Amino acid sequence: MIRFEQVSKRYPNGHQGLDNLSFHIRTGEMVFITGHSGAGKSTLLKLIMCMERPSSGAVHVGGQNLRDLGSDDIPYLRRQIGVVFQNHQLLFDRTVFDNVALPLIINGTPADEVGRRVRAALDKVGLLSKENSYPIALSGGEQQRVGIARAVVHKPALLLADEPTGNLDPELSAEIMALFEDFNRVGVTVIIASHDLPLIARLHHRTLTLDQGRLLADGES
Amino acid sequence: MSAKQPQPGRRKTPSGAARSQRDWRHPLRSWFGSHRDSARQALVRVRHYPFSSAMTVLVMTIALALPMGLSVLIGQVKQLGVNWQEAAQISVYLADDVSAEKQQSLTEQIRQLAGVAQAQLLDKDLALAEFQQHAGMGDALLQLDYNPLPSVIVVTPLSIDGGASALEPLRDRLVAIDGVEQVQIDLLWVERLAAILAMFERFAGGLGVLLIIALLLVMANTIRLAIESRREEILVIKLVGGTDAFVRRPFLYIGVLYGLLAGVLAWVLLALGLAWLNVTVERVAALYQSEFALFGMPFTDGLALVFGSMVLGLAGAWLAVGQHVRAIEPQ
Ligand SMILES: Nc1ncnc2c1ncn2[C@@H]1O[C@H](COP(=O)(O)OP(=O)(O)O)[C@@H](O)[C@H]1O
Ligand SMILES: [Mg+2]
Repeated sequence: MIRFEQVSKRYPNGHQGLDNLSFHIRTGEMVFITGHSGAGKSTLLKLIMCMERPSSGAVHVGGQNLRDLGSDDIPYLRRQIGVVFQNHQLLFDRTVFDNVALPLIINGTPADEVGRRVRAALDKVGLLSKENSYPIALSGGEQQRVGIARAVVHKPALLLADEPTGNLDPELSAEIMALFEDFNRVGVTVIIASHDLPLIARLHHRTLTLDQGRLLADGES
Repeated sequence: MSAKQPQPGRRKTPSGAARSQRDWRHPLRSWFGSHRDSARQALVRVRHYPFSSAMTVLVMTIALALPMGLSVLIGQVKQLGVNWQEAAQISVYLADDVSAEKQQSLTEQIRQLAGVAQAQLLDKDLALAEFQQHAGMGDALLQLDYNPLPSVIVVTPLSIDGGASALEPLRDRLVAIDGVEQVQIDLLWVERLAAILAMFERFAGGLGVLLIIALLLVMANTIRLAIESRREEILVIKLVGGTDAFVRRPFLYIGVLYGLLAGVLAWVLLALGLAWLNVTVERVAALYQSEFALFGMPFTDGLALVFGSMVLGLAGAWLAVGQHVRAIEPQ
């Protein structure tokens, strides 16, 4: 599903995001990307989302070389990916329902189906009772789960998460990871960037370890 | 490739499972739904900033009402000018010794001349009667025990476009007629009026162009600020696959909405303003024994104003949106 071929990313300021990185992630896999801060984890996810373009090498997603996508095509790529990013999180002037509904509104889902799908997604993350709340009234863990509901509401085949447990305590972090495992169990390919090594170690999934943009290790941790 | 795999794709390939399902099954429904949603969003945003929205609308209103009001006024004075043009007459004074029959035949002869629209005989008795009715001069004439007025053939020229000089040949021909004592062309005031109107028209046109540019800039700036204040939202929308068109749409609706409000407001303002002016105009006209009155804001002009205003709002919004929406990309 995802193939990196000798991908390098050098930012305009000279920083090296990724350095000659190659790997392959198959459909239905659950993979952790780990490494120190600045190792290139976020860069890797951004390349998959076409938020950044590689300086050299090729990124394939779903059999498509992303180099062939024009800027008009990028929205249609993103509609098939669910993302949980640290920044670009919830919109605080909209209810939980409206936040989660956003990807469905964007792809033109009929109103009745929007309601059904949003509630199904909120139910999955255990927040059905909060659909009319505003994000500000939710705890950090709850906000994170709303973000996950938004990432999966349109049933993407690929789910990307960048430090999804960033500011959460270990117990909440474990809950969030369990959610991702649930999605993976029904066939969604899941890629999670995280530097929470103890948590990753407990979950026994394939782990790509990056260091200064290079692949240091690839295997179950 | 399994069905679950995403097919990030080019819109041209209809194979993208998710997209084909969404895009062809109910394209119109979702298109209308999305526009309805954008329009509602626009309303929400305008209501969210009532004060700055009101300021924008008022500035637009003034920018619209000024040139439009001038042009309506000029249009109405010009209509009056048409009557004045008819009133631009050549007076052909006849010698005292011309007989009544001769006066009739001369009138007929002049009526046949090229360049003459109309010729009407005003014999001295009639002239006196008319003079007495008009302009409060009759009393003085009544004091006289004879009629000092000559008989006159009043000639209306076909056209006064070329001004007095263009009427010279006609005048020469009239003077040459036996029995004609004097020919008087009095066009100066018609020409002056035409010149003044042309000047005001040009002034209104120039003012209009400037104010329309100002209006576009005000609109563009308002929309730019609206875009900036929605930066976070735009980033999230783009991150989850919103197209630029989707992001733009509510802002374009805001432009149209501002245009609609400003157009309607300008219409109301002009209608009230003209009615208010009319009170004094009628009083002045009455003093000049004229029935001239402004006929208010024509309905079609009002509609054109509102429609034009909406188009300008859209154009201003488009100016801002074209630049700024593309520049906001998730990083
Ligand atoms: N937008 C950017 N502009 C310039 N340099 C960047 C940018 N994003 C990341 N980098 C640099 O690229 C390297 C990898 O960053 P990142 O992918 O964010 O790492 P991680 O997510 O593993 O902490 C770092 O050296 C960082 O400074
Ligand atoms: Mg990072």
